[in-house]
Amino acid sequence: MASARSDTHGGAAAVPAFTAHKILVAGGFGAGKTTLVGAISEVRPLQTEEALTTASIGLDDLTGVGRKTTTTVALDFGRITLGARIVLYLFGMPGQERFSFMWDELAYGALGAVILADVRRLGDCFPSVNYFETRRLPFVVAVNCFDDAPSYDPQEIRQALDLDPSNPLVLCDARDVASVKSVLITLVETIASRRSARPGPGRGRTAPPRSPASRLGQ
Amino acid sequence: MVRPYAVTGGRTEPADGEVLTLLTVLVATGRPLPTDDPARLAPEHHRLLGMCGRQMTLADLAADTALPLGVVRVLVADLTELGAITVVAQRSTDKQTGNVLQEILNGLRAL
Repeated sequence: MASARSDTHGGAAAVPAFTAHKILVAGGFGAGKTTLVGAISEVRPLQTEEALTTASIGLDDLTGVGRKTTTTVALDFGRITLGARIVLYLFGMPGQERFSFMWDELAYGALGAVILADVRRLGDCFPSVNYFETRRLPFVVAVNCFDDAPSYDPQEIRQALDLDPSNPLVLCDARDVASVKSVLITLVETIASRRSARPGPGRGRTAPPRSPASRLGQ
Repeated sequence: MVRPYAVTGGRTEPADGEVLTLLTVLVATGRPLPTDDPARLAPEHHRLLGMCGRQMTLADLAADTALPLGVVRVLVADLTELGAITVVAQRSTDKQTGNVLQEILNGLRAL
């Protein structure tokens, strides 16, 4: 809204010019996360740094030569402006378990997730499926239909992933904007139906204690 | 090549204050920076402050400057402490309503 834009110097009581919403795009290495985010938004890398160790800095200058204390992780990051006051942010979430230290912060406040699956390496998306099921965050499994991949019956893939019926599985082409759009619409419809079916997030079923999201990029 | 944390003076944790998440929205307040201690601020501080002339998320600031997120978090916290930048409160109840989801759906369909 124009009035909100012009009020950006309003000090402590700045009026939000837009609301920011987050959707995660998870999946194994090479499943097509970058392609999917890039198909629907201008994708930019987001550099994060993670300390590998904090105990040795400054203590051990001679023996510590060449010791790597941080690792850099670049996430895919896309922004989609929807109308005047809504911005949807897509964050690529590296699905390998060695990146699990950053999952909680990425998932913090997220509406839901798209888990990209490659039928040739279906096991690569198991950690993501487990993570979102445990967090009870709505997700859609999008099977990226690579040209040279064998075709499977979606029902077979559902069974192989042991998916809860509340989580849709769709076929997609991560390169195609219409296909990606359709995946995102399916996800948001899933989120909306879950919210109307179960008002008040955090009720029902077994909810594990949430660990505070804090580690990423510090 | 400059080590990323050189601009933060080696600090990897932001000063105490509000937790800055990826989608925390920030904006410049228009309050002038103190003139007595200009050496404390790196060019990156000024760059971030300039970008906050309009409302920006922390993630946008990091992606646009190509600085690591942790660095931006520290610098933004400095500017917040000086009163040059403030967090734009998001109406969390608004974010949870079906209306917003419907708006997102309408927006996606119109793309």
